Amino acid sequence: MPIAAPQYPGAVAPERTRFVHADGAELHVHEWGDPEAVPVVCCHGMFDHGRGFDCLAPLLSDRFRIIALDARGHGDSSWSHAYNWPIDLMDIGYVLRDLGRPAHLIGHSKGGGQVTDAATIFRDAVRQIVNIDGFGPPDDAGFGPPQMTSGATTVPERFTIFLDRRRRTARDRRWRVYPDLDDLVERRRAQNPRLSKPWLRYFAYHGARQVENGWIWKVDPLIATGFGPFKPQWIGPNWKHLRAPMLAMIGSEPDTWGPIPEPTRLKRLSHVPQVEHAVIQDAGHFSHMEQPQAVADVVLAFLER
Amino acid sequence: MTRFHGKPRHRELLHGRVHLWLEERKRGDGPSLLLLHGLGESGADWNDEVKTWPGAVYALDFMGHGRSGRLAGGAYTVELLAGDADVALAQIGPAAVAGRGLGAYAALLLAGGRPDEIPAALLLPGPGLAGGGAVPDFDADPTLVLDDPEPPASDGIRSEVCVDRRALRWFDQDIRPVDYAHEFAAAATRLLLVEDGSAAPPWWKTIRSSPTVNLLGGASMAEGLLALQLALG
Repeated sequence: MPIAAPQYPGAVAPERTRFVHADGAELHVHEWGDPEAVPVVCCHGMFDHGRGFDCLAPLLSDRFRIIALDARGHGDSSWSHAYNWPIDLMDIGYVLRDLGRPAHLIGHSKGGGQVTDAATIFRDAVRQIVNIDGFGPPDDAGFGPPQMTSGATTVPERFTIFLDRRRRTARDRRWRVYPDLDDLVERRRAQNPRLSKPWLRYFAYHGARQVENGWIWKVDPLIATGFGPFKPQWIGPNWKHLRAPMLAMIGSEPDTWGPIPEPTRLKRLSHVPQVEHAVIQDAGHFSHMEQPQAVADVVLAFLER
Repeated sequence: MTRFHGKPRHRELLHGRVHLWLEERKRGDGPSLLLLHGLGESGADWNDEVKTWPGAVYALDFMGHGRSGRLAGGAYTVELLAGDADVALAQIGPAAVAGRGLGAYAALLLAGGRPDEIPAALLLPGPGLAGGGAVPDFDADPTLVLDDPEPPASDGIRSEVCVDRRALRWFDQDIRPVDYAHEFAAAATRLLLVEDGSAAPPWWKTIRSSPTVNLLGGASMAEGLLALQLALG
């Protein structure tokens, strides 16, 4: 039986939704605020979706037009042939082109790294960027959340895993069906114990689809094949080409997926020509979900300067 | 998904949701050979010298090339192409690999990632050998990819050989630092580099000194294939 959409204190549903055409995908975007205001494009992390900004967006939308993107294969955006990092960067380019005027970029985790890299490419279309704990994995780690690591240490070993996943996924590309929405909540809470059950219920509801015998994630299981190996040491040097000032934000508390060791983060950020730092108290990896008001205060001060 | 067609023999493979075209150029009782073409080429571009190979010979069309489907999103990477080749490898079993140009780089990655399935790989100069280079070129403008006319949506096998213009554009900018190639060369079982005197990109120069590498200066395609046979013992 269909259930009513959960409510969450401070979370505000988008005022408008629409699709932006990209090469081979229709990208679903959520919007808040005056369409004539300066645009702010928000990009979520791996396996998340644009409704993760439902708490932050309404705190910024008095001043800005907020556009939260469901990345290709996530949320209600269409699924794709394949996924990799530069395809997502080009999709950000399509959204910027659709807006037709320079925009600020906010990105969390994977989205934080991608808005930063996108700003090195679409330099005339980006005003300022806010990177929320999207500074890549530690130098000695491969790409992927902890439960997906394998003990592989060299790049070729990680590439073997990348290939193995692709062979496996070619045989079976379906998510399991969870009997109840709360089962999805528990699954996600096991990965992100700092996030409250009420918030995860709200978040999972919009990131999942009710089917005949339960619930499945909306995200394309093909994404679990990963983007391919790279060397974390490559992160940073290209950022010297950024023209846009960056606000580099982390939470004060250790969390499952971050922050990375401070010397590594600061070394990568040392390449950014204009960078300011912010630490959100009593927040982990998901600052914008855990402490949206504190994040909004810092972001507004940065963007309105 | 695999479908066999009439003569010449073809297989349709699936990598993610991209349909790939794999042609069996010849049969034979010896070890199998997988051919990986260069940038902008297709499996149909290999000449008849490959018919001297004693075992079965397979020619793959990478995504965005030949009769294989294109990649929606347009941002091709050589890792995805090596993934194409790995899907073919899973179908045909362990094989020697010969790669030309961009296909040589894909062969290097595959040889490093599948050392147990690739006893030796022959790397040949050809189109796309340098990729986007070793360092970013910030004078280039990747936004041009957005301006390219979007090819018609096509997931399946193409009726005729063609190339996705976006692949050509993207691989001109897709960089790989040289130490990346070095690690794959070290992990490979055996690599044979055919050097024809043309300018070698930085990654090629870097792997020349790897203990897994043999240099074949001035060798022809036929001589390279013969050396590849000998390397298999």
